Amino acid sequence: MAALVIAPYLAHRLRRKNAEEQVFPPARLVLPAPPRARRRSRLEDRALLGTRAAAVVALAVLGATPFVRCSQLSLHRAAGASIAMAIIVDDSMSMRAASGALTRFERARRGAVELVSSAREGDSVAVILAGAPDRVELALTTDLGAARQVTSALAPSDRGTDLEGAVALARELLASAVQTDRRIVLLSDLADGHAGAEALSGGADVPMWMALPELAAGGGDCALVRADQRGARVHVELRCGPGQSASGRELVVEDAKGASLGRAPAPGGEKGETSIFVQADDAKADHVRLTGGDAIAEDDRAPVLPEVARGTLAVVADSTDEAVATGGAPIVEQALGALKLDVDVAPLPAVPDTAEELSGRLGVVLDDPPGLTPEQRHVLAGFVEGGGVVLLALGPRAAAAPLGATFEPILTQAVTWDDTTQRGVEASTVVGGLAESAESLSDLGATRRTVLSPADAAMFKPLANWNDGAPLIARRAMGRGEIWIVALPFSLEASDLALRPAFLALLRGWLNVALDHAAPVRAQVGASWSFPGARSVLVEGPSGPLDVGREGGVARVSPHWLGEYRITVDGHTELRVAQVDAREVDLRPRAVAAGSAGAEATGQRRELVDVSGYVALVLLVLLSLEMALRLSSRSTTARAV
Amino acid sequence: MGNWAAFRRTWSSREGGAGSVTSGSVSSPVMGGARAIRQAIDWGELGPLRLRARQVAEGAYAGLHRSALRGAGVEFGGYREYVAGDDLRRLDRRSLLRHQRLLVRQFETETDRALCLVVDASASMSFRGPGAKASKIAFAAVAAAALARIAIANGDPVSVTFLGDERVQSIAPSSGREQFERIVAALEVLEPGGDAFDDPGMLDRALVSLARVARRGAIVVVLSDLLDWAPGAPEKVASLASSGRVLAVVQTLDPAEARFPFSGTVRLRALEGGRVIETDADATRTAYLAALAELTGAWRESLARRGGRFLSSTTNESLIALVRSIVQTIR
Repeated sequence: MAALVIAPYLAHRLRRKNAEEQVFPPARLVLPAPPRARRRSRLEDRALLGTRAAAVVALAVLGATPFVRCSQLSLHRAAGASIAMAIIVDDSMSMRAASGALTRFERARRGAVELVSSAREGDSVAVILAGAPDRVELALTTDLGAARQVTSALAPSDRGTDLEGAVALARELLASAVQTDRRIVLLSDLADGHAGAEALSGGADVPMWMALPELAAGGGDCALVRADQRGARVHVELRCGPGQSASGRELVVEDAKGASLGRAPAPGGEKGETSIFVQADDAKADHVRLTGGDAIAEDDRAPVLPEVARGTLAVVADSTDEAVATGGAPIVEQALGALKLDVDVAPLPAVPDTAEELSGRLGVVLDDPPGLTPEQRHVLAGFVEGGGVVLLALGPRAAAAPLGATFEPILTQAVTWDDTTQRGVEASTVVGGLAESAESLSDLGATRRTVLSPADAAMFKPLANWNDGAPLIARRAMGRGEIWIVALPFSLEASDLALRPAFLALLRGWLNVALDHAAPVRAQVGASWSFPGARSVLVEGPSGPLDVGREGGVARVSPHWLGEYRITVDGHTELRVAQVDAREVDLRPRAVAAGSAGAEATGQRRELVDVSGYVALVLLVLLSLEMALRLSSRSTTARAV
Repeated sequence: MGNWAAFRRTWSSREGGAGSVTSGSVSSPVMGGARAIRQAIDWGELGPLRLRARQVAEGAYAGLHRSALRGAGVEFGGYREYVAGDDLRRLDRRSLLRHQRLLVRQFETETDRALCLVVDASASMSFRGPGAKASKIAFAAVAAAALARIAIANGDPVSVTFLGDERVQSIAPSSGREQFERIVAALEVLEPGGDAFDDPGMLDRALVSLARVARRGAIVVVLSDLLDWAPGAPEKVASLASSGRVLAVVQTLDPAEARFPFSGTVRLRALEGGRVIETDADATRTAYLAALAELTGAWRESLARRGGRFLSSTTNESLIALVRSIVQTIR
């Protein structure tokens, strides 16, 4: 057959080599042609050559059609009645592994297309995606054209796997079908990270067909889960599948142009972490790459999150009242400095009236402010809604706030500065980072304290309560930020809270929360990011802009791929990272319940399709094309003459 | 050349015997050679020569007649004032009675004016391209026969000189219908041959032969493609325009030669000189047409300097229009 294909080419070469000689009396007036024109000539012959070669191939295939047949998925109808079919296509990260010449996902997508093609009028088809969270790509419909369009346009993602949810969703969809013959077709590698879990089953009433069992082929994979830069080091976390190890492979930190900035041997074992020293001071680490190869190449690379910029805390405290006896800065400023948390402290005389003054601050500490003006309340509310963290100590000045200088929206009602007989906090109520220092709060030297209204107290989650149950330290989320309140001021004249170890623990805990809010948000691929109250949300992902949906007026977006996402919410841009679901490195297939995997049991089968008709059609088209080329060439020559 | 009335009168008086003569020429021993020669000349749509020449001649004269209306008799040359000494037999009495003026009727003096046809019968004239009606030699032969018929009808002697190899014999000047038959017979058996490129003396031999027959006042019409001639050919041919002779050179080309319609890579072989050239037709078309224009320009310039006339034609053009142009040119 190869000789037959080459024959037109050889004929063409021979023809080109010896151009047909023609009589032309004034040949003496014709100039010899340059070689360039010689090579460029006879373009129409090349088109004919290609057409003839293709025709020879088609002819050969046509002759061999008794032996050449295509295998494709199709539906078997035992009773001939219409059916309802829910096709589950796994679009998780593990489906990116190769299955022959194609990826597992591509093989599954083609299988879905073949199944839809074998459906008849009256059949109902639904398409469900098993990448976490499972989604209905096409609700149960008899519109087979829409089903073909949806299955043809399916695209892979980096999501985790939720097979159980997808099967449950399929059953739910099929429950509303009018057809009595209902089936679930599963096109998945069954690698959902729960290889030892209970076998998957479509249930007793709905048979489930594992249509492409060759997809569940197992394999080994390692993935980079996260990479953060801290100073001159990049901290990398690596996960491998059960029994797998990245030993012998290397982790390489590279900049955006691919230049290596540092490298280290990959840690062994299924889970490992390592730090890579970045040598160049001025170079910016862009990503970490795991050398070598495994089943999935896409998860061998992770973006490096830059170090959180050195932040600044804004502290509003009255230095005349709160200065220690030896003079100097207010005690809260000195305490923050003593923590050595590598943050700057910026003392402010009052709560700012403009948002610009709080822009870029890690958090704001307010020590017994005498209420807030409307402008200050607006700026502070915007700061917290946008992700800022505020520590508010309430004392006598807060309780004596003039009319109109309230603490809304932090507190809805005024606070009171009352006498108290309580000596300290109940140790059992102390939670979080304060728990270790709870004992230091058991005997506080305070004769008076701030009392919140019951409505306000109910809004906060207590971190430490007085012995009578009233909150001493509490927190609550507000927008994307947090509010912490303390029912005592930091002044030593009011109490000795600032002298207790728990005070430093309080500041440390609050500061960690502030740092967490300033750091980029991490989430697994497929997780939903919601933006309540946001009017405008723009998301730029690794593969371009993402569609932002709205549910109940709340903007939501779900990242499909690994990498960095720049999210602009009402003009403010932040960085978020979608990271791989560590379970996706486990490529071991999950078991399928007996009776569900067999095609015969559920009536489905694979069918060999004779392709001779298509080949003959192609051959006819090729011959017509050759005739058209010849006629075109002839008419062109005639016109020229 | 004579005029249309003479042409009609002459041929109408001879038409009675024309059929027997034609059939006789068909059955003449020459026909045996003609059958073989027809393979040599590609007559295409121009055959048979005798009929086609007659059509062309009559068509050319019809056109001339329409374009030159001058009164009832073409022999009449007009009036002029009587002067002393004029022949009183030519005094127009009617004018005297009507206008009281003495006018003398003038008549054109008819003199013999030999027509010398020079037909290029070299190898290149046998070419016929894909879009042409006939070969160049066939086209030239019909034009020559038509011109000969017109001339003979006016009583003018006609001679034919061939430019070709030595096998082709020229026809001495003579008048009368037999001369036309001789010319037609010679043209029918004509076999193009000869290589003007390799045989520069071919033109000289023809010119020497022509000089003997072309007397003063003769009309010389050269029918040739003008290809493959030696560099000095235009000047040599133009020299025929001296001694009161009227010279017209008709370049006869095939449409393919005039347009160069090839495309892609082609191998072209000349019929004279044996040159073979492989070229990209699209890339060299412009250069070829420029070279052809230069060749034509050289001929036109040489002829213009000596008072000769130059006409250019292709074989898919109208022969009637060409013959008419020739007649008008050499008047």
